[in-house]
Amino acid sequence: MMQLIRQELYKTFHRPRTYISFAIIAAIAVIIEVAMIADGRTFVDFALSGVTEQFDLQGNIINGYFVTYIILQSLIVNIPLLVALVAGDAIAGEAGLGTLRLLLTKPVARWQLVISKFAGSLIYTLALLLWLAIIALGLSLFLFGEGDMLNLKSDEVVLLLKDDILWRYLAAFGFAALAMTSVAALAVLLSVFSDNGIGPIISTMGIILFFTIITNLGLPSFELVKPYLLTTHMIGWKGFFSDPVPYDAMRDSALVLCAYTIVFVAAAIIVFNRKDIKS
Amino acid sequence: MNPFIRCIFSFIVLLLPFSVEAQQLSADDLFLKLRSRLEGVRDYVADVNMTIDVSFMRVPALKGKLYFKHPDKLKLERNGGIAILPRKSVSLTLNNLIPSGRATVIDAGQETVNGIRARIIKVIPETDESDIVLTRIWVDEHRLLALRTETTTRESGTMKMDLRFGKFAHLALPDQITFFVDVKELKLPKGVTMDYDAGGTDMVKKKAAKKSNKGTIRINYLSYKVNTGLSDKIFADPVKE
Repeated sequence: MMQLIRQELYKTFHRPRTYISFAIIAAIAVIIEVAMIADGRTFVDFALSGVTEQFDLQGNIINGYFVTYIILQSLIVNIPLLVALVAGDAIAGEAGLGTLRLLLTKPVARWQLVISKFAGSLIYTLALLLWLAIIALGLSLFLFGEGDMLNLKSDEVVLLLKDDILWRYLAAFGFAALAMTSVAALAVLLSVFSDNGIGPIISTMGIILFFTIITNLGLPSFELVKPYLLTTHMIGWKGFFSDPVPYDAMRDSALVLCAYTIVFVAAAIIVFNRKDIKS
Repeated sequence: MNPFIRCIFSFIVLLLPFSVEAQQLSADDLFLKLRSRLEGVRDYVADVNMTIDVSFMRVPALKGKLYFKHPDKLKLERNGGIAILPRKSVSLTLNNLIPSGRATVIDAGQETVNGIRARIIKVIPETDESDIVLTRIWVDEHRLLALRTETTTRESGTMKMDLRFGKFAHLALPDQITFFVDVKELKLPKGVTMDYDAGGTDMVKKKAAKKSNKGTIRINYLSYKVNTGLSDKIFADPVKE
């Protein structure tokens, strides 16, 4: 099994396409950081206008923690897509290249192959998040320094003191890893149905975008389905930047994400076991 | 009782209120004395603890240094952290809630404020230049301290402030002030902020809970350094410069 995972990682990290995701994250993060250096005050004045018309805010508002949050907020939709780029190609890509049959001639069970593909995607996802943490949090703290963080929500603004923030980011990245694991599992499941990599990647992107729109549209008719959507719980990491932290809701979200991951991987194994492999 | 003694006793009793009235300061004098006492403080630096209780703000208790310079400079410094003050922050100082020029002062009775009997005076500035239209001041006559103010301004509406005095009363500076503010709701599109609302349950609760448009800002003063000759540079916003 470990041998399979090692092979999977070798394939993933020797493919130039894998590094497109890392480059995209770096580009977005650096562009936002440069923009914040150049014109951050205008952005802050605009974003906080609802607050500043009633209150005077003084001090280092544009600090590393604040900029990191802006970057993460900008990447909410992008990161799942970048995860799908590799995970969606995991099995369908092999089928497209005609190597899947060859792979299955080895003495490994089909479920082991699915698990190794999922594990490879999972490690890639964690590497992507680690890169995001370095480039967003690490670089922003280096460029802008520490400070209290203002978190702007739709109906309130939360001020977090600087000594009370770093642990929130570490926990948020942990939660994001859980969320992206479920996206990787979804992409692997879709990958089982297809014989080329493009289909599952686009399908995963489509599902995530569709449900993200439903989650954020705020229409009362969507309220009934929202608690069951993957995208509702994927942004659970934001809960760590609330005061108080809604631990009960976040525990429920974490359980939902785990359940989705298990269901997707189990479904992928069942479908793949029954699938007639022709290429 | 002897009719003569009864007559004298009745006369004394009748005169007594006039005698007490004579000892009490007129509203004008009370106001001028109070104002002159407040004007004795030209600047101060105070270590403060500040709590903000506003429906749309989640702010922990903030510690910092509050700088004041007469007539209207005020700044909260939080050792590199973010400081939050109401837009009308200058009103957090009593000096700015009391008209500075010529004014008409009217006696408006008495009331108990935080367990202390206070005289109420209404102050109406005689010049049109002042932003203040009317100030009501609840004055502790005995200690010559303002315990509460309610100031109506041309541009900022009505502002209320409660003051509690203790160890700094000899400087006419409060130990605690509570500033009452009217606030508007904060509303941003959810599509922009992408709030995590725990699967819709919070949203239902939020709709049920009507948010108050009243808020309070409480400042506890831990220490003062008075009349040290603060420079104007301290009050400049380095980011805006």
